[in-house]
Amino acid sequence: MTETPIATATATSVVTKPNLVSPDGKIQVLIAMQNIWKTYDMGAEKVHALHGVSFEVHRGEYVAITGPSGSGKSTLMNLIGCLDTPSQGDYWLNGKNVSEMDDDELARIRNQEVGFVFQTFNLLARATALHNVELPLIYGGIPSAKRHEMAKQALGEVDLTDRMMHRPNELSGGQRQRVAIARALVNHPSILLADEPTGALDTATSYDIMNLFEKLHEDGNTIILVTHEHDIAARAHRVISIRDGLIEKDEQIK
Amino acid sequence: MAFDTVRTNKLRSSLTILGVSVGVITVVFMVSIIQGLNKAFAAQIESLGSNTIWATKFDPSIGHQPTSEEIHRKELTLADADAIRREASSVVGVSPFYRKINETVRYGDKQSDTPILIGVTPYHEFTVSSYVDRGRFISDIDVTARTNVCVLGQDLVKALFTNNEDPLDKDVKISGHQFHVVGIMEPLGSILGQSRDNSIFIPITTFEKYYPEIEFPEIISAIIVRPIARAYVKSAIDEMTDILRKQRRVPPGEPNNFGISSQDALLDVYNQLTGSTYLVLTAISFVALMIGGIGVMNIMLVSVTERTKEIGLRKAVGATRTNILSQFLIEAVVLTAIGGLLGLMVGELASLLMNKYSPLPAYVPAWAIVVGIGISAAVGIVFRLWPAWKAARMDPIESLRWE
Repeated sequence: MTETPIATATATSVVTKPNLVSPDGKIQVLIAMQNIWKTYDMGAEKVHALHGVSFEVHRGEYVAITGPSGSGKSTLMNLIGCLDTPSQGDYWLNGKNVSEMDDDELARIRNQEVGFVFQTFNLLARATALHNVELPLIYGGIPSAKRHEMAKQALGEVDLTDRMMHRPNELSGGQRQRVAIARALVNHPSILLADEPTGALDTATSYDIMNLFEKLHEDGNTIILVTHEHDIAARAHRVISIRDGLIEKDEQIK
Repeated sequence: MAFDTVRTNKLRSSLTILGVSVGVITVVFMVSIIQGLNKAFAAQIESLGSNTIWATKFDPSIGHQPTSEEIHRKELTLADADAIRREASSVVGVSPFYRKINETVRYGDKQSDTPILIGVTPYHEFTVSSYVDRGRFISDIDVTARTNVCVLGQDLVKALFTNNEDPLDKDVKISGHQFHVVGIMEPLGSILGQSRDNSIFIPITTFEKYYPEIEFPEIISAIIVRPIARAYVKSAIDEMTDILRKQRRVPPGEPNNFGISSQDALLDVYNQLTGSTYLVLTAISFVALMIGGIGVMNIMLVSVTERTKEIGLRKAVGATRTNILSQFLIEAVVLTAIGGLLGLMVGELASLLMNKYSPLPAYVPAWAIVVGIGISAAVGIVFRLWPAWKAARMDPIESLRWE
């Protein structure tokens, strides 16, 4: 994958690589969304899920994206997580323009740069917690011994060292979500992307998981949380509200 | 990683393996039976003697009733046989004979109603290369003098002479006429399930004395001819055709009023007989392969559909399409390979047992193994990869939401 520091011509506009780098040479702007459009072709009519969204997320931020269903927040999350590419606009993730990458390059970015946490955990039912956590490392081509070590460390970070040989059906909902978080963290990704991570959990467990996110944030991880629950969103430091495919509000709350 | 899935989905994996095995077993076993039948028949044909040619008054064929014109044709005569012996240069032996089935033979209080009575000349032994074991064969003097002597086949020796009695120089009764036993044939085996040892040979002239009328199909007359070697079969047939047309005064341009057949023709008859058997066996193999294949297909389709979510997750954490496809390919290859080998082992074992405990020399040719495993593997791999390919092309998000 090559970086293109020079202007790239597209059909509609000329987009320049934004200034992402701080004076010490480290990339500070992890996410730079520039006039992002996403259009779904539903046969006769075209549905615009996003109408030109632009924002930046800096390293170490803790951002919640909220909005009612149909607002475009899931579409935005898919774009941030490199599960999908924008119809128009540029998306820079950790210094790389991912908006024009092909399937295999996106798979690599997902593997290296993004850690996913899903509402329904999405663990492999027949594999142990340890094996589940190792999964991204397998696709990252990490040798087996190193994989074990890294997975154990990640499980340690979520306090599950004693449960690592258990299968998902032998774990509680909160423990399962912690396995999923360990899996998201194991590759040391640039961003931790959580889609309604407490949606399937009871209040007490949700509280634990949110505490865990807070701790991970304090450890220096960049976290983006997608949720429609206000009290969950209120735990973040910055809240971006989406409505009808546009950013309605973008406020720093802490 | 692919091995993990195979191991963790034990039931599904075993069902897939079973499906593949059933297909391979059926193909391997059925083919081994067909090969066995062929081999058995080839051996029997060989035992008839090297490449003999038969002349009869009409062509024998299965499923074709002779017409009344054919039945009423003039019989082949000793003179016809003499003419062939005299004039055909590609021929080393000519044996005219009469044959009657279901003759009654008695010795003391023992009786057999099934023997085949054959009236022959001394040329018969050499022409069909089956020889007397003890005593002597029919001689020229017997033929000239129309003596009542006979040579017994091994089956008759066993049926009539119990208690190890020596049949030589004993008198037996053939349809009430007394015959002196002068020889015993060597064991000849059987052809098409019919024993060739259940025969009695008497002089051809003596046969004519007792059976002056030919009554088809009980009694037939024929001339067996032995060519110099296999390479001379064709020229021998041509010479015989010319000689017999002349002998039987067939005008030029008219069709032959006789039939000539060689072992190749006998093979044709056999193929007519067994063709339908093969068809049934092949159909059965095919059905079994289909059932096995459909089973494998079903399991593969269900498991991939069920695992769409898993595919979505794997893609989300960084698996490429190639990663996903190779995982499913390895799974399919492992399962079909195990199934194929298992099926091969069972099929081979069945074939070996068949070989050992039945008269059929069943054996498994290499191509049957290739075909069996090839088809099963193709089914397994195609129906594993096709849905996996579809799932791998899906948006990760779409497949993650798959229920």
